[in-house]
Amino acid sequence: MLSERERERYKRQMMLFGDEGQERLKKAHIFIAGAGGLGSPVSLYLAVAGVGMITIVDMDAVDQTNLNRQILHFDRDIGRKKTASAEEKLQEINPDITIHAIDAKIDETNAADLVGKADGIVDAMDNYPTRYLLNDVAIAKKVPLFHGGIRGFYGQATTIIPGTTPCLKCIFPKAPPLEVLPVVGVTPGFIGMVQATEVVKYLLGIGELLTGRLFIWDGMQAHAEEICVERSPGCEACGGMARKKTIARKKK
Amino acid sequence: MTVKIRFFARFRELLGTDIMTDVVAGMMFTSLITSIAKKNPEGYAAIFDEKGDFREFVILMKNGKRLDIADAEKTPVEDGDEIAVFPPVAGG
Repeated sequence: MLSERERERYKRQMMLFGDEGQERLKKAHIFIAGAGGLGSPVSLYLAVAGVGMITIVDMDAVDQTNLNRQILHFDRDIGRKKTASAEEKLQEINPDITIHAIDAKIDETNAADLVGKADGIVDAMDNYPTRYLLNDVAIAKKVPLFHGGIRGFYGQATTIIPGTTPCLKCIFPKAPPLEVLPVVGVTPGFIGMVQATEVVKYLLGIGELLTGRLFIWDGMQAHAEEICVERSPGCEACGGMARKKTIARKKK
Repeated sequence: MTVKIRFFARFRELLGTDIMTDVVAGMMFTSLITSIAKKNPEGYAAIFDEKGDFREFVILMKNGKRLDIADAEKTPVEDGDEIAVFPPVAGG
Protein backbone atom coordinates (compact mmCIF):
# COMPACT_ATOMS: atom_id res chain seq x y z
CA MET A 1 0.00 0.00 0.00
CA LEU A 2 1.14 3.51 -0.74
CA SER A 3 1.46 5.88 2.18
CA GLU A 4 -0.11 9.36 2.13
CA ARG A 5 3.36 10.78 1.74
CA GLU A 6 3.99 8.55 -1.29
CA ARG A 7 0.67 9.55 -2.81
CA GLU A 8 1.73 13.18 -2.60
CA ARG A 9 5.22 12.49 -3.88
CA TYR A 10 4.01 10.60 -6.92
CA LYS A 11 0.80 12.56 -7.51
CA ARG A 12 1.77 13.96 -10.88
CA GLN A 13 2.81 10.64 -12.37
CA MET A 14 -0.09 8.75 -10.84
CA MET A 15 -2.20 10.95 -13.11
CA LEU A 16 -0.67 8.82 -15.86
CA PHE A 17 -0.77 5.32 -14.42
CA GLY A 18 -2.74 5.44 -11.20
CA ASP A 19 -2.37 3.58 -7.92
CA GLU A 20 -1.89 0.29 -9.64
CA GLY A 21 1.03 1.56 -11.70
CA GLN A 22 2.69 3.19 -8.73
CA GLU A 23 2.29 -0.01 -6.70
CA ARG A 24 3.96 -1.91 -9.52
CA LEU A 25 6.92 0.44 -9.42
CA LYS A 26 7.09 0.14 -5.65
CA LYS A 27 7.20 -3.67 -5.81
CA ALA A 28 9.87 -3.67 -8.51
CA HIS A 29 13.55 -4.37 -8.11
CA ILE A 30 15.96 -3.02 -10.72
CA PHE A 31 19.64 -3.85 -10.96
CA ILE A 32 21.89 -1.08 -12.28
CA ALA A 33 25.37 -2.17 -13.36
CA GLY A 34 27.55 0.90 -12.94
CA ALA A 35 27.29 4.18 -11.04
CA GLY A 36 29.00 6.28 -13.70
CA GLY A 37 27.83 8.37 -16.64
CA LEU A 38 24.79 6.26 -17.49
CA GLY A 39 24.23 4.81 -14.01
CA SER A 40 23.95 8.29 -12.47
CA PRO A 41 20.95 9.60 -14.44
CA VAL A 42 19.29 6.18 -14.67
CA SER A 43 19.46 5.60 -10.91
CA LEU A 44 18.37 9.13 -10.02
CA TYR A 45 15.30 8.99 -12.24
CA LEU A 46 14.32 5.46 -11.25
CA ALA A 47 14.69 6.53 -7.62
CA VAL A 48 12.43 9.55 -7.99
CA ALA A 49 9.94 7.50 -10.03
CA GLY A 50 9.56 5.27 -6.97
CA VAL A 51 11.13 2.00 -8.11
CA GLY A 52 10.96 0.26 -4.74
CA MET A 53 14.31 -1.43 -4.74
CA ILE A 54 17.41 -0.39 -6.65
CA THR A 55 20.63 -2.36 -6.55
CA ILE A 56 23.56 -0.40 -7.92
CA VAL A 57 26.99 -1.92 -8.34
CA ASP A 58 30.32 -0.25 -9.00
CA MET A 59 33.94 -0.99 -8.14
CA ASP A 60 35.50 2.44 -8.50
CA ALA A 61 36.16 5.49 -6.39
CA VAL A 62 35.11 8.94 -7.56
CA ASP A 63 37.79 10.65 -9.62
CA GLN A 64 37.85 14.32 -10.53
CA THR A 65 37.67 13.40 -14.23
CA ASN A 66 34.30 11.70 -13.60
CA LEU A 67 32.56 14.87 -12.53
CA ASN A 68 31.73 16.24 -15.99
CA ARG A 69 29.11 13.54 -16.41
CA GLN A 70 28.60 11.35 -13.34
CA ILE A 71 26.03 13.55 -11.69
CA LEU A 72 25.50 11.30 -8.68
CA HIS A 73 28.91 12.35 -7.44
CA PHE A 74 29.88 15.78 -6.19
CA ASP A 75 33.19 17.54 -5.82
CA ARG A 76 33.27 16.64 -2.13
CA ASP A 77 33.06 12.91 -3.03
CA ILE A 78 36.41 12.73 -4.81
CA GLY A 79 38.25 9.68 -3.49
CA ARG A 80 35.13 8.18 -1.97
CA LYS A 81 33.68 4.90 -3.20
CA LYS A 82 31.07 5.52 -5.88
CA THR A 83 28.71 3.12 -4.15
CA ALA A 84 28.84 5.11 -0.89
CA SER A 85 28.23 8.34 -2.77
CA ALA A 86 25.42 6.77 -4.81
CA GLU A 87 23.66 5.29 -1.81
CA GLU A 88 23.71 8.61 0.02
CA LYS A 89 22.37 10.66 -2.90
CA LEU A 90 19.72 8.18 -3.97
CA GLN A 91 18.47 7.69 -0.43
CA GLU A 92 18.32 11.45 0.08
CA ILE A 93 16.48 12.11 -3.13
CA ASN A 94 13.90 9.46 -2.20
CA PRO A 95 13.86 8.13 1.37
CA ASP A 96 10.82 5.95 0.59
CA ILE A 97 12.72 3.41 -1.49
CA THR A 98 15.41 0.86 -0.70
CA ILE A 99 18.90 1.27 -2.13
CA HIS A 100 21.44 -1.53 -2.18
CA ALA A 101 24.81 -0.18 -3.24
CA ILE A 102 27.36 -2.93 -3.70
CA ASP A 103 31.06 -2.21 -4.04
CA ALA A 104 32.16 -5.02 -6.36
CA LYS A 105 33.66 -5.81 -9.71
CA ILE A 106 31.09 -7.69 -11.76
CA ASP A 107 32.65 -10.91 -13.06
CA GLU A 108 31.54 -14.36 -14.15
CA THR A 109 31.69 -15.72 -10.60
CA ASN A 110 29.35 -13.17 -9.02
CA ALA A 111 27.21 -11.63 -11.79
CA ALA A 112 24.19 -13.93 -11.35
CA ASP A 113 24.25 -13.60 -7.56
CA LEU A 114 24.55 -9.82 -7.69
CA VAL A 115 21.55 -9.54 -10.01
CA GLY A 116 19.63 -11.87 -7.69
CA LYS A 117 15.88 -11.67 -8.19
CA ALA A 118 15.87 -8.27 -9.88
CA ASP A 119 13.11 -7.68 -12.43
CA GLY A 120 15.50 -6.14 -14.94
CA ILE A 121 19.11 -5.21 -15.55
CA VAL A 122 20.26 -1.77 -16.65
CA ASP A 123 23.49 -1.85 -18.61
CA ALA A 124 25.38 1.23 -17.45
CA MET A 125 28.80 -0.30 -17.98
CA ASP A 126 31.75 1.13 -19.84
CA ASN A 127 33.03 -2.06 -21.49
CA TYR A 128 31.74 -4.94 -23.58
CA PRO A 129 33.21 -7.91 -21.67
CA THR A 130 31.08 -6.99 -18.63
CA ARG A 131 28.11 -6.20 -20.86
CA TYR A 132 28.33 -9.72 -22.31
CA LEU A 133 28.26 -11.14 -18.77
CA LEU A 134 25.12 -9.13 -18.00
CA ASN A 135 23.66 -10.33 -21.28
CA ASP A 136 24.29 -13.96 -20.21
CA VAL A 137 22.68 -13.33 -16.83
CA ALA A 138 19.65 -11.68 -18.46
CA ILE A 139 19.25 -14.70 -20.75
CA ALA A 140 19.68 -17.22 -17.91
CA LYS A 141 17.19 -15.42 -15.67
CA LYS A 142 14.88 -14.39 -18.53
CA VAL A 143 14.81 -10.77 -17.41
CA PRO A 144 15.23 -7.75 -19.70
CA LEU A 145 18.53 -6.01 -20.29
CA PHE A 146 18.26 -2.28 -20.92
CA HIS A 147 21.35 -1.53 -23.00
CA GLY A 148 22.98 1.85 -23.43
CA GLY A 149 26.35 2.95 -24.77
CA ILE A 150 27.90 6.34 -25.44
CA ARG A 151 30.90 8.02 -26.95
CA GLY A 152 31.39 11.74 -27.42
CA PHE A 153 28.08 13.23 -28.57
CA TYR A 154 26.94 9.86 -29.85
CA GLY A 155 24.91 7.18 -28.12
CA GLN A 156 22.94 4.00 -28.64
CA ALA A 157 20.27 2.11 -26.72
CA THR A 158 18.07 -0.94 -27.09
CA THR A 159 15.85 -3.10 -24.91
CA ILE A 160 16.65 -6.78 -24.89
CA ILE A 161 13.94 -9.28 -23.96
CA PRO A 162 15.64 -12.69 -23.90
CA GLY A 163 14.02 -15.19 -26.25
CA THR A 164 12.09 -12.50 -28.07
CA THR A 165 14.49 -9.85 -29.23
CA PRO A 166 18.07 -10.10 -30.38
CA CYS A 167 20.48 -10.23 -27.46
CA LEU A 168 23.52 -8.00 -27.14
CA LYS A 169 25.72 -10.67 -28.80
CA CYS A 170 23.34 -10.94 -31.75
CA ILE A 171 23.69 -7.21 -32.32
CA PHE A 172 27.34 -6.77 -31.38
CA PRO A 173 29.11 -10.14 -31.57
CA LYS A 174 32.59 -8.68 -31.01
CA ALA A 175 33.74 -6.07 -28.53
CA PRO A 176 35.48 -2.93 -29.75
CA PRO A 177 38.95 -2.31 -28.32
CA LEU A 178 39.20 -0.59 -24.95
CA GLU A 179 40.03 3.10 -25.12
CA VAL A 180 39.70 6.20 -23.00
CA LEU A 181 36.53 7.58 -24.51
CA PRO A 182 35.82 11.24 -25.00
CA VAL A 183 32.42 12.15 -23.58
CA VAL A 184 30.34 15.16 -22.67
CA GLY A 185 27.85 14.66 -19.83
CA VAL A 186 24.75 15.44 -21.86
CA THR A 187 25.21 12.27 -23.91
CA PRO A 188 24.93 9.72 -21.07
CA GLY A 189 22.22 11.99 -19.67
CA PHE A 190 20.24 11.60 -22.88
CA ILE A 191 20.85 7.87 -23.37
CA GLY A 192 20.30 7.20 -19.66
CA MET A 193 16.86 8.79 -20.00
CA VAL A 194 16.04 6.48 -22.90
CA GLN A 195 17.01 3.51 -20.72
CA ALA A 196 15.13 4.76 -17.65
CA THR A 197 12.02 5.42 -19.75
CA GLU A 198 12.21 1.86 -21.00
CA VAL A 199 12.49 0.50 -17.46
CA VAL A 200 9.45 2.46 -16.30
CA LYS A 201 7.37 1.36 -19.30
CA TYR A 202 8.44 -2.26 -18.89
CA LEU A 203 7.56 -2.30 -15.20
CA LEU A 204 4.21 -0.66 -15.87
CA GLY A 205 3.48 -2.84 -18.90
CA ILE A 206 2.63 0.17 -21.06
CA GLY A 207 3.75 1.59 -24.40
CA GLU A 208 5.98 0.18 -27.08
CA LEU A 209 9.37 -0.96 -25.92
CA LEU A 210 12.58 -0.28 -27.81
CA THR A 211 12.74 -3.93 -28.84
CA GLY A 212 14.28 -5.22 -32.06
CA ARG A 213 15.51 -1.70 -32.71
CA LEU A 214 18.82 -0.06 -32.01
CA PHE A 215 18.19 3.59 -31.18
CA ILE A 216 21.00 5.85 -32.29
CA TRP A 217 21.50 9.44 -31.22
CA ASP A 218 23.94 11.79 -32.90
CA GLY A 219 24.02 14.88 -30.71
CA MET A 220 26.30 16.78 -33.08
CA GLN A 221 23.70 16.52 -35.84
CA ALA A 222 20.76 16.61 -33.39
CA HIS A 223 19.57 13.53 -35.23
CA ALA A 224 17.96 10.38 -33.87
CA GLU A 225 17.33 7.25 -35.86
CA GLU A 226 16.90 3.55 -35.38
CA ILE A 227 18.22 0.46 -37.04
CA CYS A 228 16.20 -2.76 -37.09
CA VAL A 229 18.13 -5.59 -35.47
CA GLU A 230 17.40 -9.30 -35.68
CA ARG A 231 18.20 -12.40 -33.69
CA SER A 232 21.19 -14.28 -34.96
CA PRO A 233 20.24 -17.99 -35.23
CA GLY A 234 23.79 -19.08 -34.46
CA CYS A 235 24.26 -16.64 -31.58
CA GLU A 236 26.58 -18.15 -28.98
CA ALA A 237 24.66 -16.44 -26.17
CA CYS A 238 20.97 -16.83 -27.04
CA GLY A 239 20.97 -19.12 -30.10
CA GLY A 240 19.61 -22.02 -28.05
CA MET A 241 16.62 -20.14 -26.69
CA ALA A 242 13.22 -20.93 -28.16
CA ARG A 243 11.57 -18.00 -29.78
CA LYS A 244 8.64 -16.51 -27.90
CA LYS A 245 5.82 -14.96 -29.85
CA THR A 246 4.91 -12.24 -27.47
CA ILE A 247 6.93 -10.03 -25.25
CA ALA A 248 6.66 -11.19 -21.67
CA ARG A 249 5.66 -8.42 -19.36
CA LYS A 250 6.16 -8.25 -15.65
CA LYS A 251 3.33 -9.92 -13.82
CA LYS A 252 1.23 -7.96 -11.42
CA MET B 1 24.83 3.19 -60.45
CA THR B 2 24.67 5.10 -57.22
CA VAL B 3 24.81 3.95 -53.62
CA LYS B 4 24.75 5.73 -50.29
CA ILE B 5 27.21 5.01 -47.51
CA ARG B 6 26.38 5.97 -43.97
CA PHE B 7 29.01 5.94 -41.27
CA PHE B 8 28.18 6.13 -37.57
CA ALA B 9 29.87 7.23 -34.34
CA ARG B 10 33.67 7.40 -34.53
CA PHE B 11 33.61 6.40 -38.19
CA ARG B 12 31.34 9.36 -38.92
CA GLU B 13 33.67 11.78 -37.16
CA LEU B 14 36.54 10.62 -39.33
CA LEU B 15 34.82 10.03 -42.66
CA GLY B 16 31.58 11.99 -42.71
CA THR B 17 28.30 10.37 -43.61
CA ASP B 18 25.57 10.06 -46.22
CA ILE B 19 28.18 9.74 -48.92
CA MET B 20 26.60 9.27 -52.35
CA THR B 21 28.95 7.59 -54.74
CA ASP B 22 28.88 6.13 -58.24
CA VAL B 23 30.07 2.57 -58.47
CA VAL B 24 30.73 0.22 -61.36
CA ALA B 25 28.61 -2.91 -61.65
CA GLY B 26 30.11 -5.87 -59.86
CA MET B 27 31.97 -3.92 -57.22
CA MET B 28 32.11 -5.75 -53.90
CA PHE B 29 31.21 -4.22 -50.52
CA THR B 30 34.69 -4.50 -49.09
CA SER B 31 36.28 -2.75 -52.10
CA LEU B 32 33.74 0.05 -52.01
CA ILE B 33 34.10 0.75 -48.30
CA THR B 34 37.88 0.45 -48.58
CA SER B 35 38.00 3.07 -51.33
CA ILE B 36 35.80 5.50 -49.40
CA ALA B 37 37.64 4.96 -46.12
CA LYS B 38 41.06 5.52 -47.69
CA LYS B 39 40.22 9.21 -48.05
CA ASN B 40 41.23 9.53 -44.40
CA PRO B 41 44.03 7.26 -43.16
CA GLU B 42 42.74 7.48 -39.59
CA GLY B 43 39.25 6.55 -40.75
CA TYR B 44 40.63 3.64 -42.73
CA ALA B 45 42.62 2.41 -39.73
CA ALA B 46 39.54 2.60 -37.53
CA ILE B 47 37.62 0.24 -39.83
CA PHE B 48 40.31 -2.01 -41.33
CA ASP B 49 43.27 -3.86 -39.84
CA GLU B 50 46.85 -3.97 -41.19
CA LYS B 51 45.93 -6.76 -43.60
CA GLY B 52 43.06 -4.74 -45.05
CA ASP B 53 40.36 -6.88 -43.42
CA PHE B 54 37.44 -5.41 -41.55
CA ARG B 55 38.15 -5.10 -37.85
CA GLU B 56 36.14 -7.84 -36.14
CA PHE B 57 33.77 -5.51 -34.27
CA VAL B 58 32.63 -3.55 -37.36
CA ILE B 59 28.92 -3.88 -38.15
CA LEU B 60 27.73 -3.68 -41.76
CA MET B 61 24.13 -3.24 -42.85
CA LYS B 62 22.83 -3.38 -46.41
CA ASN B 63 19.42 -1.72 -46.71
CA GLY B 64 18.69 -2.36 -43.05
CA LYS B 65 19.79 -6.00 -43.11
CA ARG B 66 22.92 -7.28 -41.46
CA LEU B 67 25.76 -8.22 -43.80
CA ASP B 68 28.40 -10.43 -42.21
CA ILE B 69 31.83 -8.86 -42.62
CA ALA B 70 33.11 -12.27 -43.75
CA ASP B 71 30.71 -12.13 -46.72
CA ALA B 72 31.37 -8.52 -47.67
CA GLU B 73 34.23 -9.22 -50.05
CA LYS B 74 32.07 -11.49 -52.20
CA THR B 75 28.82 -9.54 -52.02
CA PRO B 76 28.31 -7.14 -54.91
CA VAL B 77 26.90 -3.67 -54.35
CA GLU B 78 23.60 -3.04 -56.10
CA ASP B 79 22.12 0.17 -57.47
CA GLY B 80 20.40 2.21 -54.77
CA ASP B 81 21.94 0.31 -51.88
CA GLU B 82 22.12 2.09 -48.57
CA ILE B 83 25.12 0.83 -46.67
CA ALA B 84 25.63 1.45 -42.95
CA VAL B 85 29.00 0.96 -41.29
CA PHE B 86 29.25 1.30 -37.54
CA PRO B 87 31.11 0.31 -34.39
CA PRO B 88 29.54 -0.62 -31.06
CA VAL B 89 30.00 2.34 -28.72
CA ALA B 90 31.40 1.27 -25.39
CA GLY B 91 31.24 4.21 -22.98
CA GLY B 92 28.95 4.39 -20.03
